[in-house]
Order: sequence, then structure tokens, then C-alpha cells
Amino acid sequence: MTQNTRALLLSSLAASVLCLGGCGKPAPETATTDAKPADAFPGMEADLARTVKEQASFYFFKSPGDFAKDTQGLAWEDGSDLPSFADPAAKKGGTLSLWIPDFPGTFRSIGPDANSSFREYLSDYTLLGIVRVYPDQPGRIGPELASSWAVDKAKRTVYFRLDPDARWSDGVPFTTDDILFSWYLFRSPLLNDPWINDYFTKTFTALTIYDAHTFSATLKELRPDIVARVGDPNAAMPPFPRHFYKDFGPDWVSKYNWRIQPTTGAYTIREEDVRRTTSITLSHVKNWWAQEKPFARGRFNPDRIRLEVIRDPDKAFEAFVHGDVDVFPLRTQLWYVKLPDNHPSVASGFTVKAKFYNRIPPPDFALWLNEAQPPLDNLDVRLGVFYATNMDLVCKQYFRGDATVQKTVSDGYGWDPNPAVKPRPFDPDKAREYFSKAGFTKQGPDGVLTTALGQRLSLTITTTYRQYQDVLVILKQEALKAGLEFNIEVLDETTGWQKTQEKKHDIALAAFNRTVDMYPRYWESYSGANAYDVPYLPDGSPNPARKIKVSTNNLCSIADYKLDQLITAYDKTETMDQVKVLAAQIEQTIYDDAVWVNGWKQPFYRVGYRPWVKWPGDFNPMQSLDFEQYWLMWIDQDEQKADLAAKAEGRSLPPQILTYDKFKEP
Amino acid sequence: MQFRRFRSLRRGYGSFLMLVLLSALALLAELVVSNRALLVRYDGRIYMPIYGSIHPGHDFGLDYDYEADYRALRSKFAREGRGNWVLMPVVPYGPNDDCYPGETYTPRPPEASSRHYLGTDQVNRDILARLVYGLRNSLLFSAGFVALVFLIGIVVGCAMGYFGGWFDLGMQRFIEIWSLLPFLLVVIIVRAALPSGMAFGLGLLLFVVVLFAWTGMTYYMRSATYREKARDYVAAAQVLGAGPARVLFHHILPNILSILVTFLPFTCAAAIGSLTALDYLGFGLPPPMPSWGELLRQGTGNLDAPWIVASAFSALSLLLILITFVGEAIREAFDPKKFTIYR
Repeated sequence: MTQNTRALLLSSLAASVLCLGGCGKPAPETATTDAKPADAFPGMEADLARTVKEQASFYFFKSPGDFAKDTQGLAWEDGSDLPSFADPAAKKGGTLSLWIPDFPGTFRSIGPDANSSFREYLSDYTLLGIVRVYPDQPGRIGPELASSWAVDKAKRTVYFRLDPDARWSDGVPFTTDDILFSWYLFRSPLLNDPWINDYFTKTFTALTIYDAHTFSATLKELRPDIVARVGDPNAAMPPFPRHFYKDFGPDWVSKYNWRIQPTTGAYTIREEDVRRTTSITLSHVKNWWAQEKPFARGRFNPDRIRLEVIRDPDKAFEAFVHGDVDVFPLRTQLWYVKLPDNHPSVASGFTVKAKFYNRIPPPDFALWLNEAQPPLDNLDVRLGVFYATNMDLVCKQYFRGDATVQKTVSDGYGWDPNPAVKPRPFDPDKAREYFSKAGFTKQGPDGVLTTALGQRLSLTITTTYRQYQDVLVILKQEALKAGLEFNIEVLDETTGWQKTQEKKHDIALAAFNRTVDMYPRYWESYSGANAYDVPYLPDGSPNPARKIKVSTNNLCSIADYKLDQLITAYDKTETMDQVKVLAAQIEQTIYDDAVWVNGWKQPFYRVGYRPWVKWPGDFNPMQSLDFEQYWLMWIDQDEQKADLAAKAEGRSLPPQILTYDKFKEP
Repeated sequence: MQFRRFRSLRRGYGSFLMLVLLSALALLAELVVSNRALLVRYDGRIYMPIYGSIHPGHDFGLDYDYEADYRALRSKFAREGRGNWVLMPVVPYGPNDDCYPGETYTPRPPEASSRHYLGTDQVNRDILARLVYGLRNSLLFSAGFVALVFLIGIVVGCAMGYFGGWFDLGMQRFIEIWSLLPFLLVVIIVRAALPSGMAFGLGLLLFVVVLFAWTGMTYYMRSATYREKARDYVAAAQVLGAGPARVLFHHILPNILSILVTFLPFTCAAAIGSLTALDYLGFGLPPPMPSWGELLRQGTGNLDAPWIVASAFSALSLLLILITFVGEAIREAFDPKKFTIYR
């Protein structure tokens, strides 16, 4: 054969070998644990039994007789005296149209990638807890899955009686089997969630099951909010259904990615209501067990909740104005500029604007100064940055007076931790004083201060909040008056969060969401153990060989021995008085260290909605985070028909621009 | 000769002159649009604050250390009437100035009396100032882009065409794969994932963009070099003992320059387009550097303030139209059919 033909044959042979070699079985998925094939997972039930036997010092099984003995003399609470915050006359039925910014990556509510904005519909707002911190009643707990509870302070144990009516949305009764399974799940290393593992291993010393409806949990430490720490789904976790997680194992993440979990709450998802990438509709559980219970009366009213996927927030707003979305949160620009009071939709009564003053711990927006990054390791530089930051202007003119500067690092818990701690005002002269004390004595040709050796006073602010880019532009322009140069770095969410979590930033504009608690938490953000691996030498002085600790909330890299001692004592307090005394000292110490440049907070939230969506007289509890949290709204379907008919005919309805300032702080 | 032809094409030549004027405006922007005064007379001395280091307020009798607010100074001097005066440029605003200090941050419409000829944006900055300084950034970026892409294109392309063989084959395959990368996406990814701590500015952005766009000119240079290499004068030069570098740069390159000239305006337009697209998406220049893409983004987010998007859109369209007209005129002026004589 000719040379050409031979070459052709050889090359086609080579090509086919390559193609066939490429085919073949894909590599088996690696398990999430290091289990060797020999220790193959024996199945969830068997593993649960095994775990319970191995951890016999944690899991106890007793009898109802023991329950009577253990709870003798204890005072039982059932929350029956708590006032209702919903409207009992709320009408049931109708469809509420809302939106989500992206189709969720999973239907799991725990595990990797479960922390999406959709999770609030899967669990945060709809899955019931054993109990729940009651809004607007400081220190009070309300029943949910548990009908009553009692605390034994001496034994640091909380006893619960579950409501015998409680059941999952597929009809299976809710019992202590689910409690036992949930704790096994939360303590299992296969869960792949460090926070949950950490909480359920470090907080508790025992779980005791008496019978199908009674159990108790024993905590390591006595705290003022001991009941919430066991049973409130925000402090701890809601219980999960044992019968659903039959297939739990090392590969549970992928197995349970798209399975819809039964719920004890009011809303579930039917398979036929899921339109991939387009919309998800929640439907009310038929004959929901809790519908007439005091805590649920007047809540969870619509029959269906349609969540449409709209990726662009501007487009979502337009959908709301147009009528495809029924309720929409209105931030400053939308409230004043895009939906002013004379907007045709508002003037014709088709859109209601409501402003609701609430009182909760706001996200702690601030410029977090990274002490570990020079020149911010110099206290004078940090103080200078405080006086060079004009947050007041931002609140007054950018947020149009709607926002105020945060007073302490923990505003909003219902009491002022330290009246002496106040935000430092914008004062360029004072800032220059501090900078020159730190060595930045000369003013360069562009107005930025430099040291004698020519090092410029230039700091980079890193943030993932593109929506607050303008705030940084304003702060930059103002800081130049003090000779300080801010470089603005707006990164996308993943890269930006990674940079701050690796503590590589100079300054970070960041905020952590906070839940309603009886007292603020300081350990996560201000403890030296979260800044460095070994922050101190035995005598308390800084350890010269210490290394930065990544992936913690301590964005300031603050490691002050005295502060740590205060925080350790704070985390062991047993009464609110002790809490307040220590909180005042902690606030003063953080203030003196000048690491947290006060940001803004808004004492209200604003909502726009259709006139047939109704709310109780006071709109929402004082301690609500947003309009959806407690599901108090309902749809007046007759009014909806009438209003839509009026709109079609071109008639106007009376415009409604409402302000609920009952809970406004004086 | 080509230039004479170019001059005779009125539309292209006119656009060229306008572009020269705009570039001059951009490069000398401070003289026309700036928050710094052209001249200040204070206590008998004349100052020229327009270029050079800042003058702190103390230099002119104000009580602060940061740069003097010349607009406020002008009104102060006019009130005092001691013979001091301030001469401001036609548009007395800089690209980063807060034009309404202490007032709400909201876009305001154009107003000739306050010299905000195109209005202000959502952070109270003058739009005309941001357009002019943004033009400067765009032109610098595009000049740098063109220079680098052409330089790389010439070196790599001509080398491929001249040396041929395995080098040519290998480079061609590499260039094919590299040019398959979707340009904008990859630039965005690299830009978003750059190691932190690097000061990001025009230079670094230029580097990233050129990294994924350099393959553009190599094709044309390679084929032109191949064509020229077969001509007699190259053989003659080689026989006379000229090395590859001399043959390439002294003999071949001048003959293929017309290709580069023809592509120049379109490469410019592509550079400006890429920068604007990246800035619009938020992955270009860091804030608050003025850029047209950023202005477009503000404009589309504030359609109730239509002057923002109208200014940015008109400016961008005008610039690209001018460049396109110039490009067409150059292409016609350099058309070989008009002046090549085959013997």
C-alpha cells in the first residue's frame, strides 16, 4: 500500500484507540468520609443503633416512671399566657406571588450549598422548632412541637412534653424518634457542617428519651436562655424526620439533593409545582395539625405561595410594579426615586407603601480594621481612620436620613450595653493629629499624608456589597480631607468573602446578620482565639510566633488578653445582671481598641404590596426582620377580584402610604 | 500619496480632525474641565494650581489643610473684594467632586446656570467632567492596547511567517486554541480572581486584556510576511548577507505597514468597546475612576434620570462612529488597487 494510505490507516487507528480509551466507566464517586470499603456504611438505622450504643454516656433511655421522678417539683411552662401577635380573623386561601433571585441549588436545608435565599422557605420560616423564642416578649418562650417544658437548673436539664397532635406533612406522627434521629444527624461527622457538629457536641452532655412524647436535654453550662438553646430553631436546629432519611449515609448529600423533605410546618412543595429554573410553588399542608393551635392561629394563611425566579433585582422590581409579584421590600432608592408617592401605581392605589419601625439587632455594618495588617497595627492610625470616616454624611445624605450610625457593636438587643460608648464624629483635624502621631507628618503632592520616608497613608477597603459601592465613593472623597486615601475594592461574593476570611484585607466593609437573642454574642467576632491559632504566651503577652486563623468572624484580628478574659467570663454568666455588667466592660474595651468603625443601621423596613394583601393592625411583631418572617399576611380574595376589576376598568382606588411607628425608639 | 488621498475623503478626514480635537481635549482636560483653578491671584502673587501639587487651604487663607475648594474660594474673594480673584476653567468641576456638599445624593438634570451642562450623577458628580476624564482613560487604554497588540502581533506574526516550519505550525495551533477562549468571560474570571493585594488600575487591566487579545494581529502579519518573503527583494537582501531581524524590520515591515494602519482604527474601537463592556459589568477599572462603561451602568440603573444614559450613550456612539469613518477612509486611501502598478 502507498505511503499515504498507510499513514491514513495508522492515524485512524490511533484516533479510534484514543476515542475508545476515553469511553469506559466513570471513576466511582469518592465518599465524603475516609471510610475504607471494608467499613462500608451499614445503613442509617444500624448506624444510629451503633452510635447510640457507643455513646451510651450521651444517649439515655428511661421509662415514663423515671420521667415523673426526674421532673418532680419542677415548674412547667406552656406559653398559654402569651398574647397572640397574629390576627385571628385572618382569611384563609388565595395565592401569594413572590420571587427568588435564583433557582436553588438543592432542596436540602442543611449540608453543602444549602445556605441559599430559598432556604428560608424550606426551613427558616416554615419548619417548626421544638419551641420558639417569642417575639416582643423578652425572655419568653412559645410552644411549637413541644406543648410544655420545665427547667431543672441544678441539673442544667430541660424537660419537654411533645404535642401528641404533631405530625409530618406526609401523615407520619412526630415523636421522640425524630428527636433522637435529629441529634444523631447533627452530631454525625457525615453531615459535613462544622457549625452544627460543633454546637451539638459542645453544648450538650446528654439526651434522654423517656417515651414517644417526652425527652430531656442536659447542657454543659447553665445560661439565661437555656430552653432556647435546646429547642429554638434559630439558636439550635429544627428536628428532622427519621423516616425520610432512611437512606442517610456517606453519600447522603447527592442522594437527598432534590428530595422534598416532609415538614411539620404549614407549607410543603409538591413535585408537580416545581418548574426547574422557572418557579417553585409552595402549597399549604392539607389538614395541617397546628392550624388551630394558639401559636399558629391567624398565621400561614395563603393556600399557595408562588416563587418566581427573577435573576435581576431591577427586573424583579418592575415585575412587582406591573403586578406579577405581590409583595416587595423597598430600599431607599426604590422608596424615594423609583416608586415615589406620585407614581401612577401608588396614586391609583394599586400599590401600597408601608414603613414599619422594628427593634431588632441590625446587621453590624462597619469598616472592620484588620489590626494584623500594618499600618493598622498602630492604634493612632486606627483612631485617625475613625475620625476620617464621615459615616454621618452617608446616613444623612445617602440614606436620606433613614439610617443612623450604630452606637455600639451590639445595638438593638433592647438595652444599651454601655451609655458611655458613642460613635466618634467626623473630624479631619483630629484625624490628622493622630496620623501625625503615627508618623504620617508630611502632606504629599496629591493631598495624601506620607511618612518622612515617603510611605503613603493608603488603605484598601474590600467589600462584596456592590450595592454600597457609592457609600465607599463618598467615604473616600471625605477621607481625603484628612489626608487619608481609601482604595475601593469591590469583589464578587466568593472572592471577596475569601479575602476577608483569610484576613488579607486592610479594611473590610462587612456585616453579620444577627438573630433576636436576649444578649449579644462577642466571642465569634472579638475573641483572640478567632484571630490567631495561639494568640498568647502563658503570661498573657502576645505570642510572637502566632499565625493568623482563617475562616472566622474575627475580621479585625483583635486579640486582647483582657478582652478575652472578659468574654470567657461573659460566656459563663448565669443571670442577665451579670451579662449586662460584663457587656459594658467588653464594649468599652472594644471601643478603646478602635477596630470597628461604626457603620449604619436602619430602624425600620419598608414594604410595597397589593391592596388585597392584608396585615394585622400593628403590621408585624416589633422583633421582626422582614415582612415574611412570621407569615401574618392574608389575601382577601373578594377584594382581590374587585380591585383587579377596578384596575381593568381604569378606576382608581384610594392611595395608601402607611407608617407603623408604634415601636419607634424615642 | 496615501495621505493625500486620505485628505481628499472629506468625511473620513473631517472625522479624523474631530478625533484629534477630542484627544487634545482629553489630554488637556484640566484646562477646560477641572475643579482646580487656572489662575489664582492672592495677596499680590499669581498662582497656577492647575498642574502640580495641591495647594492646601492655608495657602489661600482658608483654615484647613486639604486641597482648597476653588469654587468656594472664588465666591469668598468676590465677597471680600480685596483684589483677589480666581479664574476657573469653563466647567469648574472635577470627575470625583461632590458638587452639592452636604445635600442629598441624587441625580440632578442639566442646568446651564450652574455649568452642569450634562447634569450630575447619583453621587453628585458632574457628568461632563466624568465623560471627559473617562475619555482620557479610554484613549490611554486604547493607545496602550493598540501598541501592545500590534507589537506582539508584529513580532510573533512576522516570526511565524518568516521562519515557517515547526515553529509556525506549533504557534499556529497554540494561537488557535488561545483565541478560542471567550474573551470577555475569561477576562472577567481572571479579573475577579486576581490575588488580593495587587493595586488594580489601568495598567493591570490592560495587561489582563492584552493577555487574551494579542492573537488578533498575528494572522495578518503572518500571511503578509509569507507573501513578502517570496518576493525578490527579500532574496536579494538575504544574498547580500542581511540577518532575519534586518530583513524583517528593515525590508519586509515597511511594506506591510499599510495593513497595520488599516487595522489601527478598528483595533482602537475594539479596545474602547472592551473597556466599556468590562466597566459596565463592573469588572473593569476600580471605582471611583471615571469611565464611560460605569456611566452607562449608572444610566441604565437610573432610567428616571435619562440624562445620564443619554450622555454616555451619545458620547460612546459619537466616538465609535468617528473612529469607524476614519477607519473606512484609511482603508480606501490605502486600497492597493488604486496605486499598484503591475509590470
